[in-house]
Amino acid sequence: MTITLYDFELSGNCYKLRLLMSILKLRYDIVPVDFFPGRQHKADWFLKLNPFGQLPVLRDGDLTLSDSGAILAYLAKQYDETGLWFPDDPAITAQVLRWHAVGDDITSTASAARLALGFDYDFNIEKAQKSAHRIFRIMDEHLWFGEREGRDWLCSPAHPTTADIACFPYVMLSEEGGISRQDYPALRRWTDRVRRIPGFVVMSGIFPAGRALEQA
Amino acid sequence: MTFTLSDPTWYPIASSEDLPFRHVYQGQLLGRELAVWRADDGNVNVWENRCLHRGVRLSIGINEGAELKCQYHGWRYANRSAGCTYIPAHPADAPARRIQNRTYPVREAYGLIWSAANDEQPFRPFPGAEDKDWLPLRPMPVNAEPEDVLAALARLDQYADILPGLSIRSGNVIWFVQPVDAGRAVIRGLLADQPAEPLAELRRYNELLTGLRDRLERAATRKPAPAPLQPIFEKVSADLATMPEIAIPRGNTMTVVVKRKWQSADGVIGFELAARQGHLPTFQPGAHIDVHLPNGMTRQYSITNGPGDLMSYVIGVKAESAGKGGSKVLVETVREGDLLAISEPRNNFPLRRDATRTVLIAGGIGITPLLSMARFLDKSSLPYELHYFVRSGEQAAFRDQLEALHGKVIIHQGLPRDEIAATIATSLGEWSMAQHVYVCGPSAMLESVRATAAAQGWPDEAIHFEYFKNDKVIDNSSSFEIELARSAMTLHVPAGKTILEIMREAGLTVPSSCEQGACGTCLTTVIEGEIDHQDVYLNNSEKASNACMMTCVSRAKSARLVLDI
Repeated sequence: MTITLYDFELSGNCYKLRLLMSILKLRYDIVPVDFFPGRQHKADWFLKLNPFGQLPVLRDGDLTLSDSGAILAYLAKQYDETGLWFPDDPAITAQVLRWHAVGDDITSTASAARLALGFDYDFNIEKAQKSAHRIFRIMDEHLWFGEREGRDWLCSPAHPTTADIACFPYVMLSEEGGISRQDYPALRRWTDRVRRIPGFVVMSGIFPAGRALEQA
Repeated sequence: MTFTLSDPTWYPIASSEDLPFRHVYQGQLLGRELAVWRADDGNVNVWENRCLHRGVRLSIGINEGAELKCQYHGWRYANRSAGCTYIPAHPADAPARRIQNRTYPVREAYGLIWSAANDEQPFRPFPGAEDKDWLPLRPMPVNAEPEDVLAALARLDQYADILPGLSIRSGNVIWFVQPVDAGRAVIRGLLADQPAEPLAELRRYNELLTGLRDRLERAATRKPAPAPLQPIFEKVSADLATMPEIAIPRGNTMTVVVKRKWQSADGVIGFELAARQGHLPTFQPGAHIDVHLPNGMTRQYSITNGPGDLMSYVIGVKAESAGKGGSKVLVETVREGDLLAISEPRNNFPLRRDATRTVLIAGGIGITPLLSMARFLDKSSLPYELHYFVRSGEQAAFRDQLEALHGKVIIHQGLPRDEIAATIATSLGEWSMAQHVYVCGPSAMLESVRATAAAQGWPDEAIHFEYFKNDKVIDNSSSFEIELARSAMTLHVPAGKTILEIMREAGLTVPSSCEQGACGTCLTTVIEGEIDHQDVYLNNSEKASNACMMTCVSRAKSARLVLDI
């Protein structure tokens, strides 16, 4: 079976899948889709793959999947033998799905501001930025208290889950949408932790963090 | 009250917990953005959040423990000094080492990091600070004017005391308002003594502050927003930003204290030279300092330190009992606690950090510049191999420092000459693109490495070497004439002055570097006259040819020398 990712290099949602597949050491092919300026995601051939006209799309054998959060869950359940990335426990599944939804909220706010500023999209920039700040405030508080409770990640397990991947890219790219992370120190520390996950890969605008201090 | 950029008050700008190791915190005080980071030695740096070369934020940089590396351009700024140690485009002795980012005063106390816009005022603890175990509350950024935030905090408790520096004591909590900008602030609270259930207390105060913030921000939208403070960014002076023409030693010296003197190995004495106050200047790996000795001599010693390690320089001195030169004075008469004058660090032995493979080869005391290089490569996780040749294990200096490295470090003991050559040949291997070798040791070893490397396909530009310092006592008692054939000048060189000095005094621009006959920079062709060679750069056949000389130390045996200058 071959996995094929319909991908746009500068899309945070596509990057989420590249990131998880890299962490899970999966081999996959890429079909580049010219999202900008070509708008190939609205082309007929693409709409046959995904009638919603959104990237990313992933094909695994005969299966065609869309929506980054759904694909993250699929990849983890299908290929992660450790079961850590999308745990089976019902309460944790609910937490992970909650943060997948937050990931979508970040896309519709921080990413929208980025599309407006960098990709010429006609969105209300100020409204998008304001809404992104509202989400970041909540995340910073959640992560700050998490650190005091011994929780480094968005959900309660002592390891990252697909929730962290779903929320990570557009937090990191927020400056491109004119959204400073200066007021969210706990959120910034969390992004360092995500960038230190073994198998982490970069994309334009998302660089690795320094090595953690090795404890003697 | 209006806020000014020159307000000298100390304000809290972060919690201690905001600065885990290997993280860079992004802060702001009075309109100036700050990059705040803790180095692995615990030191907290508060810098202007702007790379001097490219203007990007340093808070996006990588905290490598002793240096901050720009993720986009690779510039590196050192812990404590904020001096730039590396420009990728200029692996040689680039002026970067002289460029220093703007730093702000810093103090870590009571679980908070404090800073001020300038150092006009000393840091003073707030009243009652000393006798409590303070718990910092979760900071609350507020988009409102700092005075309004202070007033709102005061209204929370009618018995609250307003303290200096935008702070309020209310029961067992002290509130500080950090003026981020004219229209932005962060509320930082300190709770006196640890509560029985800290998490519940932290949540309770967080809820209180969230409500306060929401009220303040609603009110702030009803009045005109104040204009943000406009910090002025000083330009780097042309003197610092441009490449110096030649590495003429500057006359500046600084005084250091001999903090420690110890036997590092059989025949090697270690000296730790500390600044009398604060830190020493930034240096590059491979750099050396001139040490002015009590007997009036000047000698060069390589700095062995790792990156960002600026509280003292550690040098190694060969204790040759028969030596008559400067090292003997250092070893025999200089004691711990003595003061010495040293130059700023200079680098004639620059390390490239764009190599795919770096081989470091040291013989005896030649380990000193290579130890510094190995430490830089180690910190940057770059691949390297260090081969250290000593006659016996007891002669291996700085062993503890070598053992702390993560790279491939091999100490070769007591090998016969031909085996040394064979070992060097194996260690070097065939050359391929982007491999570099650095050698420092006795001249026989240098020659051996140069010959072996060349035979194995290493191009000259991939072989970097530093000769041992010239330990000979220079006899400058002679006096003679020099004729400069191309410049049509005749100059008199008196006793006590070098040919180089006389030519400079006559207005000629002549390159030089080490000024002790070790580096080869001032190599000059001699047309006529008998040369009194005193350098260690030229080999015996070159000296015997009587056709070239080093003008920094060598002189004339004849009354006249004709130079091709």
